[in-house]
Amino acid sequence: MIQVIRITLKGIFRDKVFQGIMMLAVLFAFIPLAASLSMRQVVELSITLSLSLVSFIMLVLAVFLGATSVWKDIDRRNAYSVLSLPVSRMSYMVGRFYGIALFMLFVSLVLGLVTAIVVGMSAGMYPPARPVVWSYIALALLFNALRSILLVAVAMLFSTVSTSFFLPVFGTTTVFIIGGVTQQVYDFIHTQAGAESLVPFARHLASIIYYVVPNLSSFDLKVNAIYAINPTLNGILLTLLYFAVYTTIVLSAGVLLFERREIK
Amino acid sequence: MSSLRRPGLVLLAALILYSVTISPFTDYMRRKPVEEKLGYLPTLKVIRVMAADQKEVMGASLIMKVLMYFGGITMKQQEKIIAEPPDYVMMSRVIHGALQLDPYNMDGYYFAQAFLVWDAHQVAIANNLLDYGMKYRTWDWSLPFFAGFNSAYFLKDYAKAAEYFKRAGELSGSPLYINLTGRYLQESGKTGLAIGYLKTMIATSRNDTARKSFEIRLKAFEGVRIIEMACDRFREKEGRIPSSVAELLASGFLQALPLDPYGGQFYLEPDGKVATTSKFAFAGAKNEKRQNSGESHERH
Repeated sequence: MIQVIRITLKGIFRDKVFQGIMMLAVLFAFIPLAASLSMRQVVELSITLSLSLVSFIMLVLAVFLGATSVWKDIDRRNAYSVLSLPVSRMSYMVGRFYGIALFMLFVSLVLGLVTAIVVGMSAGMYPPARPVVWSYIALALLFNALRSILLVAVAMLFSTVSTSFFLPVFGTTTVFIIGGVTQQVYDFIHTQAGAESLVPFARHLASIIYYVVPNLSSFDLKVNAIYAINPTLNGILLTLLYFAVYTTIVLSAGVLLFERREIK
Repeated sequence: MSSLRRPGLVLLAALILYSVTISPFTDYMRRKPVEEKLGYLPTLKVIRVMAADQKEVMGASLIMKVLMYFGGITMKQQEKIIAEPPDYVMMSRVIHGALQLDPYNMDGYYFAQAFLVWDAHQVAIANNLLDYGMKYRTWDWSLPFFAGFNSAYFLKDYAKAAEYFKRAGELSGSPLYINLTGRYLQESGKTGLAIGYLKTMIATSRNDTARKSFEIRLKAFEGVRIIEMACDRFREKEGRIPSSVAELLASGFLQALPLDPYGGQFYLEPDGKVATTSKFAFAGAKNEKRQNSGESHERH
């Protein structure tokens, strides 16, 4: 499996994915300037913009790396060469996943350092009224990375059943959008107004979607990082557990499907 | 050879066409109607879904849009270029939307306080917004400080003002804000207080549009203060209220007539209060729609 992880990482760097991301990261240079337009919260705005940019880059990475890795192997018959190694299909899938996950963590670390520089610059120029809590920023970046890794697992699940590149890409994007709002919908259907305005069938359907689609809003700790608001330990631990369990389910479902798939 | 020349020619032609088109295109974008520039705001539920995990950025960009729009109009007014009065209702709606996306965004509350209160006379609406913000920004003294000032100065609700100032004092650890309330009770103290408030706002402001707006208002209030002090001296000496500013000038209590930076003329109301023909607003910014019936109509 370690061999697959190594091959995956090598492949990602060979495809110049990292250099591509660094091109997007040029946008970081404009953040201090854009943030200085704020009237009362320059540092807060520069944290907001930095974390949002990181979140966007990580989303694009998760969708494309997750969606293309298995699909490309099958399409270009690479799976043969990789699978000709003495590894099981399970080791192949899990190895690919770990490889991408490691790369995501690495990118997150690099972008986190860039964020620290940008926020540090803003804080130096315009000292904030409320001190920046770096550990909350690090936590927000870590949970953003975990969210992206979860999306990688979802994208890989899609690509085990798909013969095309589009289903994994659009499927994962849809999961991302729905996963971000299910909590709001769930909260709404449990209010008086929600109970009155929706038929029981719609409410049940919404509940089912809530439990099936990953709940991504719990991974969003941006507000805590931006405004230095204490995150709850309970919430952090539960989200970590949720991440571990959900990713395992998606990944093992992916392995099961991939083992049944015929590769010609 | 020709195979190379053809794409080159097409590129050249396209570049020439671009340089011809770009000027009217930019002009068209600049002249877009206000509603298009500020944008129609879809319902909040839709925005929340569209914003995905970028609610904070969406909120910040909406506030920035309003600020740019308002800054552009005030700049024209200060340069005495005739401009459309700002669409305060739309501005207020966008700010409310932005603060629902990110209820922690200080720029939104600051903007509401800096412009919607003085220029749009939406005092009660601004205080509602500040109350909403206090639920989130529990550490921030400036929100109760703003609300306290609005309550005392505009709404004349001194009990409520004292409550807000107490909270501001507790949060900032400064007793200054608690002392503020008492001074509102007299008319002459009121102008002095507004001057104190505006000086605080200028000192803590780092946005040009906001600071300019406060500085102009401060200058106007300093003018009022000079006339008020002359009035007080006149009353002490003569035992009656002066009938006009001209009388103050003629009797030597007032050395020179202060200039109203809004372009109006200071005058005395029958009860001796100092007022100005500009109503403390640039002519173009006159606000016909007074949304807030409960507010005071003097010296806005």
